[in-house]
Amino acid sequence: MKRLRPFALYQPTSVREAVELLVAEGGEARVLAGGTDLLVDMKLGRVRPPAVINLKRIKGLDRIDRVEGGIRIGSLVPISAIESSALVQRKHNALWQASRVLATQPVRNLATIGGNLGRASPASDMAPPLIIHGSLIEIEGVKGSRLVPAEAFHRGPGASCLTPDEIITSVLLPEPTGRTGSAYRKLGKRGGGWDIALVGVGVGIRLDKTGEIADARIVLASVGPTPLRALTAEAGLRGAVPTEESLAEAAQTAAAETRPITDLRATASYRRSLARVLTLRTLRDALYLAQREAPF
Amino acid sequence: MSYVGERVARIDAAEKVTGGAVFGSDITLPGMLHGAVLRSPYPHARLVGVDTSRAEQAPGVRGVSAGRDFPFTFGASIKDQPFLAIDRVRFVGEPVAAVAADSELQAQEALDLITVHYEELPAVLDPWQALAQDAPLLHPDLHTYERGRHEIVPHSNINTVARYVHGDMEEGFRSADLLFEDEFFAHALSHAAMETHTATAQYRPADHGYTLWVSTDRPFQMRSELATALGLSSDQVRLIVGYVGGSFGGKNTLVAEAAAVALARKVPGRPVRVELSREEDLVASQIRMPAFIKLKTGVRRDGTLTARRAEFLWDGGAYASNAVGIAIRGPKAAFGPYRIPNVEYYSRMVYTNKEPTGSYRGYGTTQAAWACESQMDIIAHRLAIDPLHLRLRNGLQEGDPWINGQIMHGINARETIELVASEIEWGTIDRAPAPHLRRGKGIATMIKETATPTSSNVVIKVEQDGKVVVLCAAPEIGAGQATVLSQMAADAIGVPLAAVSLPATDTATAPYNGPVASSRTTYHVGNAIQLAGLEIRRRALALAGRVLGIDADLLDMNDGVITERGVGPRANLRDLLGTFGSEGYSLVAEARYSSADSPLLKADPGCEWVSTIFWMIASQAVEVEVDVETGTVRVLKVAAAADVGRAINPTACEQQIEGGVVMGVSNTLFEELTMEDGRIQNGSFTDYKLATIQDLPEIVPIIVESDHPEAPFGAKGIGEPAAAATAPAIANALFDAIGIRIKDLPITSVKVLDAIEAKRVDEAHGDDLALD
Amino acid sequence: MIRVALTVNKVRHEAEVEPNLTLLEFLREALYLTGAKESCGVGECGTCLVLVDGHPVNSCLMLVADANGREVETIEGLANEGEPNTVQAAFIETGAIQCGYCTPAMVLAAEALLRANPNPDPSQVREALAGVLCRCGSYPKVLDAVRTAAAKGVHQ
Repeated sequence: MKRLRPFALYQPTSVREAVELLVAEGGEARVLAGGTDLLVDMKLGRVRPPAVINLKRIKGLDRIDRVEGGIRIGSLVPISAIESSALVQRKHNALWQASRVLATQPVRNLATIGGNLGRASPASDMAPPLIIHGSLIEIEGVKGSRLVPAEAFHRGPGASCLTPDEIITSVLLPEPTGRTGSAYRKLGKRGGGWDIALVGVGVGIRLDKTGEIADARIVLASVGPTPLRALTAEAGLRGAVPTEESLAEAAQTAAAETRPITDLRATASYRRSLARVLTLRTLRDALYLAQREAPF
Repeated sequence: MSYVGERVARIDAAEKVTGGAVFGSDITLPGMLHGAVLRSPYPHARLVGVDTSRAEQAPGVRGVSAGRDFPFTFGASIKDQPFLAIDRVRFVGEPVAAVAADSELQAQEALDLITVHYEELPAVLDPWQALAQDAPLLHPDLHTYERGRHEIVPHSNINTVARYVHGDMEEGFRSADLLFEDEFFAHALSHAAMETHTATAQYRPADHGYTLWVSTDRPFQMRSELATALGLSSDQVRLIVGYVGGSFGGKNTLVAEAAAVALARKVPGRPVRVELSREEDLVASQIRMPAFIKLKTGVRRDGTLTARRAEFLWDGGAYASNAVGIAIRGPKAAFGPYRIPNVEYYSRMVYTNKEPTGSYRGYGTTQAAWACESQMDIIAHRLAIDPLHLRLRNGLQEGDPWINGQIMHGINARETIELVASEIEWGTIDRAPAPHLRRGKGIATMIKETATPTSSNVVIKVEQDGKVVVLCAAPEIGAGQATVLSQMAADAIGVPLAAVSLPATDTATAPYNGPVASSRTTYHVGNAIQLAGLEIRRRALALAGRVLGIDADLLDMNDGVITERGVGPRANLRDLLGTFGSEGYSLVAEARYSSADSPLLKADPGCEWVSTIFWMIASQAVEVEVDVETGTVRVLKVAAAADVGRAINPTACEQQIEGGVVMGVSNTLFEELTMEDGRIQNGSFTDYKLATIQDLPEIVPIIVESDHPEAPFGAKGIGEPAAAATAPAIANALFDAIGIRIKDLPITSVKVLDAIEAKRVDEAHGDDLALD
Repeated sequence: MIRVALTVNKVRHEAEVEPNLTLLEFLREALYLTGAKESCGVGECGTCLVLVDGHPVNSCLMLVADANGREVETIEGLANEGEPNTVQAAFIETGAIQCGYCTPAMVLAAEALLRANPNPDPSQVREALAGVLCRCGSYPKVLDAVRTAAAKGVHQ
């Protein structure tokens, strides 16, 4: 059996306490949320923290609530709770879809949205939907709390804007206005949805009164060092009539914007091809949902 | 009540479903210590020094062992593999030292305290490199090693050469209208049994012997391998085998056992358990042997095969392990279940600085069938003959001679092929539900022999209360051995199934059996059980006759009830044996079955070594759906037919057929050991992916029965044929769907998409290829 | 050392444990409930699956500290006085068990599914069981077993 090396375990009951512990441990401690990433890294010897700060005794971080202007999802909310949340499914389909394809159910019952974000993997399934939904990430550290737009959170593979004293406390999802639709797709090695994304795509579309695309967001996973927003493709769609041609062109542009690498899971060229195909399919999904929204 | 042929519930099911089944890592013994293994980070290096002094002082550590403490080697065919590396390491992951400690964590932590000095050597990373004139030699002293009588090439990396020819190859090719020459590659695979390699060993100072609790499919062969390696006699090595959490051929040789034994020697009297992590199991146990295969086939315009030459280059890994037999026998399957009058094969296995290879559900036949059945479709398409009809035309039938002149009984190649073709609705095209999807159908068949000659001994004892104990060293590895053998015992003797038990194998008390491998158990152990069981019945009825004062010839026994013909029930077995009272009684009988002298093995002079006591033919027909934009291949349906002789337990047969298909789909589409500089890059389940229940296609298992003159209750075997035909069937279906021929496994979406895009480029240049 | 108190198969346990002890290790090595296994240790194989407050989780990725105050069910707790429950009986009846290594996990995953959804459609069954690998390939008969168990209507 793979065994965890010994460590000191702290179980703070408030965010303040957790932050102070992070400072006291001098950056050597790791925070524990669901454990599905940290404990794996520890077992495989990738990290050997002398101290682990278990966040799960902190009350109030595991709720999904309606708040003014949108939804707040606590950072310790398990992915499975997002999956079963009618509130999230209502207007944030991309995030909801992503929660359904993240690993398998027993993992989803442990893994948390904060943990997934905090790992800052470019393959994160949560990140593209959060970005296309225009989410804000609530962070708390010694200096107090701050809000960071989801798209500014990632800095590189495994690196985020969190300072060593900070933890994520929640994610705020604004309520979309107008005729919107969003979707998330990914492809893994086994062809289905439950492997690490070879490529993942989140799309959000807002239509104006005439049915033209008022706004579009396209964010891809696993095609760059961070979740990648296909800004040129998005710009090309703004003001466009949504046709198969304009969507295909946007998908082509998005693929050209990607910077995939060849790694043991896939080649760069395969990822680029996949990016084009998945972006087109996800655009179609999001458009379909947006068009179904009642016109105003 | 007769149990043979009935879908009785597996006798191990209740224990397994309640969590009570004990596997290797569930065993706790008094004084038990836990072992951990330090492994080589280099594919090839001189082992200059191993300093274990700091590890010996670490908390909880009771013993540390390195090659110098335990300088023994072992090997099923060539004694080339050290328990712990002695002066050289030959693959990344090779055991260099081991620690036994009070806790597994303490043992693992102590590994960090062992210092090893390596001097890297140039590594041989592929078989072509291994063959080169100036190749570094992994085993320069190969010619001095204790080994079997097979051909080697001294002072080279070639550890096995096998040749076979039957007929006139020149004439065979000359009489052909077309010649086909194709090259194929079959990749390395991990058995990935859910139970990783685990073993517990205890050294007995009193007789310098060892007791082991192991998870193996061949207790006697492993005992022999250990005893030979350590210079011990059979009574000094005792193996106890309970449930095995899956083997698929991979639990045949010393893996965890090697370290466990070396450590046990250091801590006399204390059992030491070594449990491989999944990562160790993937990279440092044993894998399927990759093969480069060249097939040259002559065929007449009407589709009749005239000759085939098969050339195999096997990538054997750092130690020969039990792969030698694969190189010698595996190529026979390259000729398929077809009438080919002129056949030849040339097979070589080489050492490479990679993970050792060995038996993998099929013993070389999955690799051979990959080549054979892929080429059959290439031939069919070129000749514009339906792939189904090409196979039927050439299919072996009852009474045909095999590739060595042995007359084949109990086989019918056409039957399984026709059944699966019909089930898949061969010849009809299914319209795919979306423009980016294409569907196709493919068919493949295979023939599997069984290792011959092998033998099985069985001892049956009936206790005074009527319970029947069958002693046969046939561990339950998951395929239902215990149940099927119990059914046969119950019927042979005439007792209720519930009265029969097969205790865990203990080599101290069980008689000899060959491996639970080569799909041989039902037939060989079954034959021995039938013989011994009939003897038990005879003696019980004789005893009943004496006690009742009736001529024994007038008596029958069924479900433990003894009846007099024409009269009715007269006694039951339990009460009969109970009459011995405090004097005590056990009714004991034994039997041995060997295939060695069977007249069925008669073949052309000099070719008897190729003979097999029975063949199993299995076919699969597959429907796939390809996403031409992503290259993803999805298997929709598989019809899988296997000729089992007689289904002792139809449910158990279906388990094997279905299980083989799932494994075949997984092997073909998802599994790959990605290597760089001799290091496996994806050595964990995060990136070595097995099929989940989500990947399950519709599977229609079809059991076919036939008549084999010497089979017990008519039963042959099923374990291996279930898995072989899936890969080529998928490749053939892929070709049917989109005209892409993939010749090297695995069939990944990256490969498929690359091929589709290459084809598009070709088409743009006006080449005559239609993606319809 | 930290103190934990948890219920396992309706029996309350209190223990002083090291922080680095996982729930899987606690079950197997402190309580000798060896039905839950390790086959990968990284959350991919599911053989360590147990139910925590009714939810299937990979016990190899859960610290026993996090099971404090919770109700854990393992395979050993399903049978009633040795009598297999509906799901277990269905697995036996349909032939859904081969080597048996994944069986405890598969059964618990099926049990959890039927408690939450007594009449699942095939895609729901597949999704619920996707987290448990079976190398023997018993998937077809596992699906049959779940269907059989659901049909008994015991979980309504």
